[in-house]
Amino acid sequence: MIFSLMGGEMSKTEPRPIYVDSDKRTGLDDLAAQVKDGSVVAVGGGLSSREPMALLRAILRRGVKGLTVVGSAHGIDIDLLSGGGAISRSSESYVGFEQDFGMAPNYRRALESGAVSVDDSCCYTLVQQLRAAIQGLPFLPIRSVRGTSFPSLHPEYKRMICPFTGEELLLVPAIEPEVALIHAQYGDAQGNLLIQGPPVADILFAKASREVLATVEEIVSTARLKELGGVSIPYFYVTAVSEVPMGAHPTACYPFYAYDRRHTVLYYEAARKGADAFLAEYLSVFVHGAPDHADYLAQIGGEKARARLSSWRDGAEAWKRLYMDEAMA
Amino acid sequence: MTTSCTFGEMMIAALTRTIADGTLVFHGFGSPLIQLAMHVAKRTHAPRMILVAGATYGVDPEPPFLAPTSNDWVMDRGASSSLGIEELFDLAAAGRMGRMFLSGLQIDRWGNCNVTALGYPNIKLKLPGGGGGCNLSCDAAHITLWTTAHRSPKDAKGQRRFRLVEDCDFITNLGHRTRDGQPAKELGHRGGGPQWLVTELGLFDFDADGHARLTAVYRDTSLDEVLENMGFTPRLAAKVETIPAPERSVVELIRRLDPLKVHEKEIRAEDLRREFAIT
Repeated sequence: MIFSLMGGEMSKTEPRPIYVDSDKRTGLDDLAAQVKDGSVVAVGGGLSSREPMALLRAILRRGVKGLTVVGSAHGIDIDLLSGGGAISRSSESYVGFEQDFGMAPNYRRALESGAVSVDDSCCYTLVQQLRAAIQGLPFLPIRSVRGTSFPSLHPEYKRMICPFTGEELLLVPAIEPEVALIHAQYGDAQGNLLIQGPPVADILFAKASREVLATVEEIVSTARLKELGGVSIPYFYVTAVSEVPMGAHPTACYPFYAYDRRHTVLYYEAARKGADAFLAEYLSVFVHGAPDHADYLAQIGGEKARARLSSWRDGAEAWKRLYMDEAMA
Repeated sequence: MTTSCTFGEMMIAALTRTIADGTLVFHGFGSPLIQLAMHVAKRTHAPRMILVAGATYGVDPEPPFLAPTSNDWVMDRGASSSLGIEELFDLAAAGRMGRMFLSGLQIDRWGNCNVTALGYPNIKLKLPGGGGGCNLSCDAAHITLWTTAHRSPKDAKGQRRFRLVEDCDFITNLGHRTRDGQPAKELGHRGGGPQWLVTELGLFDFDADGHARLTAVYRDTSLDEVLENMGFTPRLAAKVETIPAPERSVVELIRRLDPLKVHEKEIRAEDLRREFAIT
């Protein structure tokens, strides 16, 4: 496999696996158990939407270590993994809380202390590296990036003169994550996934990775999946699937629920105060203090929280009011 | 009747003027000033602009209000289509993207930006990272840079930590020259690099050398204030103009688009107090 992220040996791309079991349903903890220490992991979703948060909490509860994370635009997902000590290298393009809260506190601490190696990338570089893996190629060229500081951070990038046009191009090696962690709105027992709204990089992640571990809000029949909009990620890419309602919380999973800004405020305040406060006020309550997802849902306010976050459906004014309340909270 | 506008509205209007009709324009995340500038442009002088929203990749969306996070279904309501991440960046690489907006915790005289880390390779402060800014800084036809932190007050030791710096510790987004002084145009990128830099103190363009050149200040800022808050000396336009205030209809449009005043999160407290007369 291509393993450029660690700067180690590069070998030829191996044929990619496919997954043909007719029933891939499993429990959340069994799903999390398939993520091994030291894996290269692509976390799906982006910023405040559809991040596989329940699966990440289950991974942290298992004490997984040494992950390399690759991705485009991320926030609380990678910050939580950083605060929980699961990561040793970050190849993300962005990890933060936009202008609303600012920099990601746990991520910053982990990278500034050296506990996590800095291996930053950029969205299109990552896209090309994933597309190389999807196509079974060792690399793809890009024109951009040359002239910036990224090549100094990534000695694995190579320059070449195009044999057709004579222009200089940058070659970026395939990235083949060992596992993609994806939360979708719907799936079926076979593992077909339907993502509604922006897929971010999830479809690329699913096709480039050796395994796809998915959580979904609802498992439905294949016929129902087609009625709801069709298949975004065909079943044969998917290793296992688990039905986890509110599985992206506190990020959004429309149409089921909006982004929980109130919970994010609580998270951010704990993270900002420092590693000890984050452990005591957040991890010990919402991750290690909630042994399973049902306990987590109870911790965040159960049905009342779910109803509050689904009130966006009542129209534009209700949607805005939800954010107005959040802004004043 | 509205007789004044805020500094945020003033800056949104200045950013709006950098957008040309009939071009494909993209914004990233964490930048409500830019989101608003694009929506204002689309509804005023640039109706044929292709507005692609960052994070959702929705095309020509009409959000009912601005949400405090950009990857939210609020932000792609009404979009006529939605692009995939690969499609958006392919558009830029193929030369179809007319303009992108970029910023940085450090911006130098050539328009290079650092969003990666302060201190490199010995990192003192890890910044969030630039998303796709590195790629788009090379590929988009034109770049508008912006910052709301040009002003760099002295700390207790009398030192200023500039946003507009002599040198970037790390070049995340490419400007007009590399760290070695090589002109970016020799690299054969698709894009023409930074064209404008809009700050809370002034407006810069980039001259034929690719060097930042002050072209205008606000009614309430002075040339001295612009210069003393910078780590490098900009070139000066033959006549430094005054940035015009937006029309009343534009101010009212911004207030309709952003009822939660999400864009004020980008603006420092002292700048929220600034006020400009409008007609």
